[in-house]
Amino acid sequence: MHAHDKVVDPKQVVLWSDDYEGHDVISTRTFGFWMYVLSDGMLFATIFAAYGVLSYSHSYYTGPTPAQFVAPWYTFIQTMALFLSVLAYGFAMTALKQGNKTGVINAIIASMVLGVIFLGLDIHDVLRMISMGVIPEVSGGLSAFYALTQVHAAHIFVGLLWMLVMLYQILRQGFSEDVVGRLLSLRMFWQFQAVMWVFIYVFVYLWGYLS
Amino acid sequence: MSHGHSDPLHHPEVQMASKRNYLTGFIVASLLMFAATILVSGHVLPPFALLLAIIGCAGLAIIAQVYFLLHIDISEHNIWNTVALVMFIPLFVITIGLTWWMFSQLYLRTMPMIPGMPGMH
Repeated sequence: MHAHDKVVDPKQVVLWSDDYEGHDVISTRTFGFWMYVLSDGMLFATIFAAYGVLSYSHSYYTGPTPAQFVAPWYTFIQTMALFLSVLAYGFAMTALKQGNKTGVINAIIASMVLGVIFLGLDIHDVLRMISMGVIPEVSGGLSAFYALTQVHAAHIFVGLLWMLVMLYQILRQGFSEDVVGRLLSLRMFWQFQAVMWVFIYVFVYLWGYLS
Repeated sequence: MSHGHSDPLHHPEVQMASKRNYLTGFIVASLLMFAATILVSGHVLPPFALLLAIIGCAGLAIIAQVYFLLHIDISEHNIWNTVALVMFIPLFVITIGLTWWMFSQLYLRTMPMIPGMPGMH
Protein backbone atom coordinates (compact mmCIF):
# COMPACT_ATOMS: atom_id res chain seq x y z
CA MET A 1 0.00 0.00 0.00
CA HIS A 2 1.43 3.36 -1.02
CA ALA A 3 1.64 6.28 1.38
CA HIS A 4 -0.82 8.39 -0.57
CA ASP A 5 -3.50 5.68 -0.42
CA LYS A 6 -3.91 6.16 3.33
CA VAL A 7 -7.01 7.92 4.60
CA VAL A 8 -6.00 11.31 6.00
CA ASP A 9 -7.08 11.85 9.57
CA PRO A 10 -7.80 15.58 9.93
CA LYS A 11 -6.92 15.46 13.64
CA GLN A 12 -3.46 14.04 13.00
CA VAL A 13 -2.40 15.69 9.76
CA VAL A 14 0.60 18.02 9.82
CA LEU A 15 0.14 20.96 7.50
CA TRP A 16 3.76 21.81 6.89
CA SER A 17 6.89 19.83 6.12
CA ASP A 18 8.93 18.08 8.82
CA ASP A 19 12.04 20.15 8.17
CA TYR A 20 10.12 23.39 8.59
CA GLU A 21 12.31 25.82 10.50
CA GLY A 22 9.51 27.37 12.51
CA HIS A 23 7.55 30.57 12.35
CA ASP A 24 9.12 33.95 12.12
CA VAL A 25 6.38 35.38 14.31
CA ILE A 26 7.14 39.08 13.77
CA SER A 27 7.46 38.82 9.96
CA THR A 28 4.28 36.72 9.71
CA ARG A 29 2.28 39.15 11.83
CA THR A 30 3.56 42.32 10.17
CA PHE A 31 2.84 40.89 6.71
CA GLY A 32 -0.64 39.87 7.85
CA PHE A 33 -1.21 43.32 9.26
CA TRP A 34 -0.02 44.88 6.01
CA MET A 35 -2.79 42.85 4.29
CA TYR A 36 -5.26 44.42 6.74
CA VAL A 37 -3.86 47.91 6.07
CA LEU A 38 -4.39 47.43 2.32
CA SER A 39 -7.98 46.22 2.94
CA ASP A 40 -8.45 49.37 4.96
CA GLY A 41 -7.23 51.17 1.81
CA MET A 42 -10.08 49.46 -0.10
CA LEU A 43 -12.54 50.77 2.51
CA PHE A 44 -11.21 54.25 1.79
CA ALA A 45 -11.45 53.54 -1.97
CA THR A 46 -15.20 52.90 -1.67
CA ILE A 47 -15.72 56.12 0.29
CA PHE A 48 -13.54 58.06 -2.19
CA ALA A 49 -15.70 56.62 -4.99
CA ALA A 50 -18.87 57.69 -3.16
CA TYR A 51 -17.42 61.16 -2.67
CA GLY A 52 -16.35 61.24 -6.34
CA VAL A 53 -19.89 60.63 -7.59
CA LEU A 54 -21.42 62.96 -4.99
CA SER A 55 -19.19 65.99 -5.49
CA TYR A 56 -20.82 67.36 -8.65
CA SER A 57 -22.34 70.80 -8.26
CA HIS A 58 -25.83 69.25 -8.44
CA SER A 59 -24.82 66.95 -5.52
CA TYR A 60 -24.95 69.96 -3.21
CA TYR A 61 -28.42 70.81 -4.51
CA THR A 62 -29.00 74.45 -3.53
CA GLY A 63 -26.93 74.16 -0.33
CA PRO A 64 -23.32 75.15 0.44
CA THR A 65 -20.40 73.69 -1.55
CA PRO A 66 -16.88 73.01 -0.14
CA ALA A 67 -15.71 76.26 -1.77
CA GLN A 68 -17.85 78.07 0.81
CA PHE A 69 -16.86 76.23 3.99
CA VAL A 70 -13.34 74.78 3.46
CA ALA A 71 -10.49 76.79 5.02
CA PRO A 72 -7.27 75.56 3.29
CA TRP A 73 -4.75 76.98 5.79
CA TYR A 74 -6.68 75.69 8.79
CA THR A 75 -6.65 72.20 7.27
CA PHE A 76 -2.96 72.62 6.39
CA ILE A 77 -2.23 73.02 10.13
CA GLN A 78 -4.17 69.78 10.70
CA THR A 79 -1.99 68.17 8.00
CA MET A 80 1.19 69.27 9.78
CA ALA A 81 -0.09 67.96 13.14
CA LEU A 82 -0.69 64.54 11.56
CA PHE A 83 2.64 64.46 9.67
CA LEU A 84 4.52 65.47 12.85
CA SER A 85 2.68 62.77 14.79
CA VAL A 86 3.78 60.18 12.21
CA LEU A 87 7.35 61.54 12.42
CA ALA A 88 7.28 61.25 16.23
CA TYR A 89 6.11 57.64 15.90
CA GLY A 90 9.01 57.08 13.50
CA PHE A 91 11.35 58.30 16.25
CA ALA A 92 9.70 55.79 18.61
CA MET A 93 10.76 53.12 16.09
CA THR A 94 14.38 54.34 15.95
CA ALA A 95 14.45 54.35 19.78
CA LEU A 96 13.04 50.80 19.71
CA LYS A 97 15.90 49.80 17.40
CA GLN A 98 18.34 50.86 20.16
CA GLY A 99 16.24 49.23 22.89
CA ASN A 100 15.72 52.65 24.49
CA LYS A 101 12.52 52.23 26.50
CA THR A 102 12.32 55.86 27.71
CA GLY A 103 12.85 57.07 24.15
CA VAL A 104 10.04 54.85 22.84
CA ILE A 105 7.63 55.98 25.55
CA ASN A 106 8.44 59.69 25.10
CA ALA A 107 8.11 59.50 21.31
CA ILE A 108 4.77 57.67 21.54
CA ILE A 109 3.48 60.30 24.00
CA ALA A 110 4.61 63.06 21.59
CA SER A 111 2.88 61.22 18.75
CA MET A 112 -0.31 60.94 20.83
CA VAL A 113 -0.29 64.64 21.76
CA LEU A 114 0.04 65.60 18.08
CA GLY A 115 -2.69 63.10 17.13
CA VAL A 116 -4.97 64.62 19.77
CA ILE A 117 -4.23 68.08 18.29
CA PHE A 118 -5.21 66.76 14.84
CA LEU A 119 -8.45 65.32 16.22
CA GLY A 120 -9.17 68.48 18.25
CA LEU A 121 -8.75 70.64 15.13
CA ASP A 122 -11.05 68.27 13.23
CA ILE A 123 -13.75 68.44 15.91
CA HIS A 124 -13.43 72.23 16.08
CA ASP A 125 -13.79 72.40 12.28
CA VAL A 126 -16.90 70.17 12.36
CA LEU A 127 -18.47 72.33 15.09
CA ARG A 128 -17.72 75.46 13.03
CA MET A 129 -19.40 73.92 9.98
CA ILE A 130 -22.41 72.79 12.02
CA SER A 131 -22.82 76.34 13.37
CA MET A 132 -22.90 77.53 9.73
CA GLY A 133 -25.67 75.03 8.93
CA VAL A 134 -23.27 72.81 6.95
CA ILE A 135 -24.59 69.41 8.13
CA PRO A 136 -24.77 65.98 6.43
CA GLU A 137 -28.57 66.18 6.08
CA VAL A 138 -28.39 69.17 3.73
CA SER A 139 -27.26 67.30 0.59
CA GLY A 140 -25.70 64.12 -0.75
CA GLY A 141 -22.49 66.04 -1.36
CA LEU A 142 -22.23 67.04 2.31
CA SER A 143 -23.09 63.49 3.46
CA ALA A 144 -20.20 62.16 1.37
CA PHE A 145 -17.87 64.92 2.64
CA TYR A 146 -18.65 64.11 6.28
CA ALA A 147 -18.49 60.34 5.74
CA LEU A 148 -15.02 60.52 4.20
CA THR A 149 -13.42 63.03 6.58
CA GLN A 150 -14.95 61.51 9.71
CA VAL A 151 -14.10 57.89 8.79
CA HIS A 152 -10.50 59.10 8.64
CA ALA A 153 -10.91 60.89 11.99
CA ALA A 154 -12.31 57.63 13.46
CA HIS A 155 -9.13 55.83 12.30
CA ILE A 156 -7.05 58.47 14.10
CA PHE A 157 -9.13 57.98 17.26
CA VAL A 158 -8.58 54.20 17.15
CA GLY A 159 -4.85 54.75 16.55
CA LEU A 160 -4.65 56.98 19.64
CA LEU A 161 -6.41 54.35 21.77
CA TRP A 162 -3.98 51.75 20.41
CA MET A 163 -1.01 53.96 21.42
CA LEU A 164 -2.42 54.22 24.93
CA VAL A 165 -2.67 50.42 25.13
CA MET A 166 0.90 50.07 23.82
CA LEU A 167 2.25 52.46 26.48
CA TYR A 168 0.64 50.26 29.13
CA GLN A 169 1.99 47.06 27.54
CA ILE A 170 5.53 48.45 27.20
CA LEU A 171 5.51 49.33 30.91
CA ARG A 172 4.05 45.93 31.91
CA GLN A 173 5.86 43.54 29.53
CA GLY A 174 8.86 45.44 28.15
CA PHE A 175 9.96 44.68 24.60
CA SER A 176 8.61 41.12 24.32
CA GLU A 177 8.03 39.58 20.89
CA ASP A 178 4.27 40.35 21.15
CA VAL A 179 4.78 43.97 22.15
CA VAL A 180 7.41 44.62 19.46
CA GLY A 181 5.16 43.02 16.81
CA ARG A 182 2.25 45.25 17.85
CA LEU A 183 4.42 48.38 17.82
CA LEU A 184 5.45 47.51 14.24
CA SER A 185 1.83 46.97 13.17
CA LEU A 186 0.83 50.28 14.74
CA ARG A 187 3.65 51.96 12.77
CA MET A 188 2.14 50.76 9.48
CA PHE A 189 -1.37 51.71 10.58
CA TRP A 190 -0.34 55.21 11.64
CA GLN A 191 1.81 55.93 8.58
CA PHE A 192 -0.98 54.67 6.31
CA GLN A 193 -3.42 57.16 7.84
CA ALA A 194 -1.01 59.93 6.76
CA VAL A 195 -0.99 58.52 3.19
CA MET A 196 -4.82 58.48 3.12
CA TRP A 197 -4.84 62.00 4.55
CA VAL A 198 -2.80 63.26 1.56
CA PHE A 199 -5.62 62.01 -0.71
CA ILE A 200 -8.29 63.59 1.50
CA TYR A 201 -6.47 66.89 1.93
CA VAL A 202 -5.69 67.36 -1.77
CA PHE A 203 -8.72 65.78 -3.46
CA VAL A 204 -11.45 66.68 -0.94
CA TYR A 205 -10.35 69.87 0.83
CA LEU A 206 -8.16 71.64 -1.75
CA TRP A 207 -10.00 70.46 -4.86
CA GLY A 208 -13.34 71.14 -3.17
CA TYR A 209 -12.15 74.64 -2.31
CA LEU A 210 -11.31 75.20 -6.01
CA SER A 211 -14.64 74.07 -7.46
CA MET B 1 14.28 34.23 7.32
CA SER B 2 14.19 32.32 10.58
CA HIS B 3 15.26 34.25 13.63
CA GLY B 4 14.61 31.57 16.24
CA HIS B 5 14.12 32.81 19.75
CA SER B 6 16.60 35.65 19.58
CA ASP B 7 15.90 39.15 20.86
CA PRO B 8 12.89 40.59 18.95
CA LEU B 9 14.74 43.92 18.75
CA HIS B 10 17.25 42.29 16.36
CA HIS B 11 14.49 41.47 13.88
CA PRO B 12 15.02 43.18 10.49
CA GLU B 13 11.53 44.71 10.76
CA VAL B 14 12.80 46.65 13.82
CA GLN B 15 16.32 47.26 12.52
CA MET B 16 15.17 48.89 9.26
CA ALA B 17 13.85 51.94 11.17
CA SER B 18 15.82 54.96 10.04
CA LYS B 19 15.71 58.48 11.45
CA ARG B 20 17.04 59.92 8.18
CA ASN B 21 14.35 58.22 6.06
CA TYR B 22 11.54 59.28 8.40
CA LEU B 23 12.80 62.88 8.41
CA THR B 24 13.17 62.91 4.60
CA GLY B 25 9.65 61.53 4.13
CA PHE B 26 8.25 64.11 6.54
CA ILE B 27 10.07 67.07 4.93
CA VAL B 28 9.24 66.09 1.33
CA ALA B 29 5.54 65.43 2.06
CA SER B 30 5.21 68.63 4.15
CA LEU B 31 6.83 70.84 1.49
CA LEU B 32 4.59 69.37 -1.22
CA MET B 33 1.45 69.94 0.86
CA PHE B 34 2.65 73.49 1.62
CA ALA B 35 3.17 74.12 -2.11
CA ALA B 36 -0.28 72.72 -2.96
CA THR B 37 -1.92 74.93 -0.31
CA ILE B 38 -0.13 78.07 -1.58
CA LEU B 39 -1.14 77.30 -5.18
CA VAL B 40 -4.78 76.76 -4.23
CA SER B 41 -5.19 79.73 -1.88
CA GLY B 42 -3.28 82.10 -4.20
CA HIS B 43 -5.17 81.18 -7.43
CA VAL B 44 -1.92 81.85 -9.30
CA LEU B 45 -2.52 79.25 -12.06
CA PRO B 46 -5.38 78.72 -14.54
CA PRO B 47 -7.84 76.07 -13.20
CA PHE B 48 -6.67 73.09 -15.28
CA ALA B 49 -2.95 73.72 -14.66
CA LEU B 50 -3.73 74.17 -10.96
CA LEU B 51 -5.54 70.84 -10.90
CA LEU B 52 -2.57 69.09 -12.56
CA ALA B 53 -0.17 70.80 -10.14
CA ILE B 54 -2.00 69.65 -7.00
CA ILE B 55 -2.44 66.12 -8.43
CA GLY B 56 1.36 66.13 -8.96
CA CYS B 57 1.96 67.30 -5.37
CA ALA B 58 -0.33 64.58 -3.99
CA GLY B 59 1.28 61.86 -6.13
CA LEU B 60 4.83 62.79 -5.14
CA ALA B 61 3.90 63.14 -1.44
CA ILE B 62 2.31 59.68 -1.48
CA ILE B 63 5.33 58.11 -3.22
CA ALA B 64 7.66 59.79 -0.68
CA GLN B 65 5.61 58.51 2.26
CA VAL B 66 5.27 55.00 0.88
CA TYR B 67 9.01 54.77 0.15
CA PHE B 68 10.56 56.58 3.12
CA LEU B 69 8.01 55.76 5.84
CA LEU B 70 6.40 52.45 4.91
CA HIS B 71 9.70 50.93 3.66
CA ILE B 72 8.14 49.80 0.37
CA ASP B 73 11.21 48.77 -1.63
CA ILE B 74 12.69 45.69 -3.31
CA SER B 75 14.93 44.55 -0.44
CA GLU B 76 14.65 40.88 0.45
CA HIS B 77 12.74 41.54 3.65
CA ASN B 78 10.17 43.95 2.15
CA ILE B 79 9.59 42.54 -1.33
CA TRP B 80 6.27 40.83 -0.48
CA ASN B 81 4.87 43.99 1.07
CA THR B 82 5.80 45.73 -2.18
CA VAL B 83 4.21 43.00 -4.32
CA ALA B 84 1.00 43.26 -2.26
CA LEU B 85 0.94 47.05 -2.68
CA VAL B 86 1.57 46.82 -6.43
CA MET B 87 -1.40 44.45 -6.73
CA PHE B 88 -3.50 46.67 -4.49
CA ILE B 89 -3.01 49.82 -6.62
CA PRO B 90 -5.07 48.63 -9.65
CA LEU B 91 -7.91 47.57 -7.32
CA PHE B 92 -7.86 50.99 -5.67
CA VAL B 93 -7.77 52.86 -9.00
CA ILE B 94 -10.44 50.66 -10.66
CA THR B 95 -12.81 50.89 -7.68
CA ILE B 96 -12.71 54.68 -7.70
CA GLY B 97 -12.27 55.20 -11.45
CA LEU B 98 -14.97 52.89 -12.78
CA THR B 99 -17.52 54.09 -10.21
CA TRP B 100 -16.78 57.69 -11.02
CA TRP B 101 -16.90 57.04 -14.80
CA MET B 102 -20.19 55.16 -14.58
CA PHE B 103 -21.89 57.89 -12.57
CA SER B 104 -20.50 60.73 -14.69
CA GLN B 105 -22.01 59.08 -17.79
CA LEU B 106 -25.28 58.45 -15.95
CA TYR B 107 -25.53 62.09 -14.82
CA LEU B 108 -24.76 63.30 -18.33
CA ARG B 109 -27.74 61.35 -19.70
CA THR B 110 -30.29 61.59 -16.91
CA MET B 111 -29.89 64.68 -14.77
CA PRO B 112 -32.60 67.27 -15.40
CA MET B 113 -31.83 70.90 -14.65
CA ILE B 114 -33.62 72.04 -11.53
CA PRO B 115 -34.38 75.78 -11.18
CA GLY B 116 -32.24 77.49 -8.56
CA MET B 117 -29.50 74.85 -8.80
CA PRO B 118 -26.02 75.63 -10.09
CA GLY B 119 -25.04 74.18 -13.49
CA MET B 120 -23.86 70.60 -13.83
CA HIS B 121 -20.21 71.23 -14.50
